[in-house]
Amino acid sequence: MSEPPVPSPGAARLSVQALPWLPRPSGKMRDSIAALPSAPLDALSVLQALAQAAWNEADLRLLGRKIRNLLKSQPSGFAPEARQHGLLPVRILVLSSSTASHLADALIGTAIRFKFLLDVEIAEYEEPEPWLSRNSRELKAQPPDFVLVASDHRMLKLSSPLGDEAAAEQAIAAAIARIERVAEIAGAATGRPVILQTLAGDPEATQFNIDLGLPGSPRFLTNEFNRRLVRQARQDSQLVLDVNALASLVGQAEWSAGRYWYAAKHPFAGAMIALYADNLMRIVAAQLGRSRRVLVLDLDNTLWGGIVGDDGIEGLALGNGSALGEVHAALQRMALSLKQRGIILCVCSKNDEAIALDAFRNHPEMILKEDDIAAFRINWDDKAANIQAIADSIDLGLDSFVFLDDNPAERKRVRDALPAVAVPELPADPSEWLPVFQAAGYFEQPGFSKEDQLRAGFYKANALRAAQLQRIGNHEDYLRSLAMTLSIAPFDGAGLKRIAQLFSKSNQFNLTTRRYSESEIAAMASNADVFTIQARLADIFGDNGMISAVICRQSGTSWEVDSWIMSCRVLGRRVEEALLQHLVREARLRGITDIIGRYIPTAKNGLVRNHFAGLGFVQTDSQNGETTWRLDVGGYVEKDLPMKVDSPRGRNAAAVAGS
Amino acid sequence: MAHASEQTSSSDAILARVQDVFRAELDDEDLVIAPETSQQNLKAWDSLAHIRLVSGIENEFDIQLTLAEIEQTSSVRQFVELIRERAR
Repeated sequence: MSEPPVPSPGAARLSVQALPWLPRPSGKMRDSIAALPSAPLDALSVLQALAQAAWNEADLRLLGRKIRNLLKSQPSGFAPEARQHGLLPVRILVLSSSTASHLADALIGTAIRFKFLLDVEIAEYEEPEPWLSRNSRELKAQPPDFVLVASDHRMLKLSSPLGDEAAAEQAIAAAIARIERVAEIAGAATGRPVILQTLAGDPEATQFNIDLGLPGSPRFLTNEFNRRLVRQARQDSQLVLDVNALASLVGQAEWSAGRYWYAAKHPFAGAMIALYADNLMRIVAAQLGRSRRVLVLDLDNTLWGGIVGDDGIEGLALGNGSALGEVHAALQRMALSLKQRGIILCVCSKNDEAIALDAFRNHPEMILKEDDIAAFRINWDDKAANIQAIADSIDLGLDSFVFLDDNPAERKRVRDALPAVAVPELPADPSEWLPVFQAAGYFEQPGFSKEDQLRAGFYKANALRAAQLQRIGNHEDYLRSLAMTLSIAPFDGAGLKRIAQLFSKSNQFNLTTRRYSESEIAAMASNADVFTIQARLADIFGDNGMISAVICRQSGTSWEVDSWIMSCRVLGRRVEEALLQHLVREARLRGITDIIGRYIPTAKNGLVRNHFAGLGFVQTDSQNGETTWRLDVGGYVEKDLPMKVDSPRGRNAAAVAGS
Repeated sequence: MAHASEQTSSSDAILARVQDVFRAELDDEDLVIAPETSQQNLKAWDSLAHIRLVSGIENEFDIQLTLAEIEQTSSVRQFVELIRERAR
């Protein structure tokens, strides 16, 4: 017989604003802060661990203020040092016509949960336009990484006569135009993505059941505005914080500031700040390539009800036939919907592998098929060790992992052993899991591209390639057997979304970790002083999609490699050598004599520390781990590489030579 | 919970917790308050700090002040009285 699940303390149903997916705090924030180690980096790492619990708004403020004070007293060299410990400095400007300063410390306290050292600048009680024009010079000189346009219905003052469709349309169009203008000014001043907010419904407004269809009613105006705003944002590549979705999740009346609006012009209730801040940080994390990408699932009493080893396939609660079975089927459908968004599904279970796989193959109600799972680790070993093994096998860092398990003891074990893995707390009743899990928003994405839908397939194909390599043995012969084609092109409109995504997501194979937005990438495509490469790789196992981007900036007869990023899916395929060969050929055509490379270390890109050395560059400088390299274009010797290279200019050159 | 109400109904115990809130919200770990402490004689207790103090006290004691109480409370004595009333 299996052990009954251990009910977690405080198993009573928690509201969404209590961040129920996070463990409850133990002890008092005050006491933890008083007991911090004195070395600032040690203190920050204690605070980072502390921030993984569900603190309330008042505690988050204490936490945030402590971080702010810690950072204030540090010398300027502190940021790179913190970055090497995985803590990334991020600056955000919040524009609000209501009060916003009360959010600052709670945002900072939440940001460290995501390993960000947040610096918040607040512009409040003022329309954003005059503030932006007054501060444009400072903004340009010291641009924030993000601008949040924290508009609310009090700033936009949407109103139009009831029942007048044309007037309603006009009011909405004017409000959208206004937000667009603010986004444009903020975006132009900072060159960075702007985060826009939808409007929460106003529970104080007069509204009847017919109002969603009644032009001019508050509900109609809010709804139409929101729909228009998010579409426009997708088109303009702005980011969206869907405040309306958050307010709907907790209830408009709960969301509303009530007393605090009248007393202090707070835009929403203080009890919602923790949830709001967590959501804002998810967007920032997604844009900076720090979203989660892998969901590791337990089997017994998680993916299905019951213990397959004891109950047998027929004894499992799954699908039609029992209420509990339907709950587990719903969980499987949820996992499948994540896979369609590009999330990689894996299984980690203490079980007999043959029996567990038999359930995958032969249970008629299984929604997830063996083929949907990128990696299985089914054995009796420690789950933390198994999750580490999965991370190694699919080449993704543990901080992109989420582990879903019904057993509180396993959750605690994995959380303790692998703090980088997100392990959601779950209510004791499986029928309450999904709302909690979904509200955690682990897999937030800043955009959606075709690659996302294909990603699971990419990882599957990699498993086939690994088998091929094992069969052939010799690495070079294996590479030839793949019959690879590398397609190289400059940045263009068609590739824009994927290039931007690659820039936001690449952390390991990334020489300088510079992040560029779609509009910045579009600007490079038409800048004569910038030479760009996007590359796709295909082979006998399929198309890997766009896997690399390089940006060179010309100065005199030199190219400086501003950025060089590559998907880790194609490591060890000699793609970087082929790209360098292409760079050298293009450099020669343009009279470029030197290619200068730079490596800026972060906590994640140790993989490419020797990238330029491996390509034959000579090191010319080294400062605080940052290294500079030079390649003499004239001295480069062409290599015979195991792939066909296809580039538009290469084709033209061949055509010219042939004529 | 008899124990909890005993604790919250003692004015000294309430005052100690209110002092913790004041220290945290006003960022002054050495601050000592008394029932007489008020917006008139504590400089850091300005209108912005007042809202933080109200929110901190609401969180600490799990109570809710009305808008009128938020507006009218201006001394530690008044806070303590409100908390005692709510604890009953």
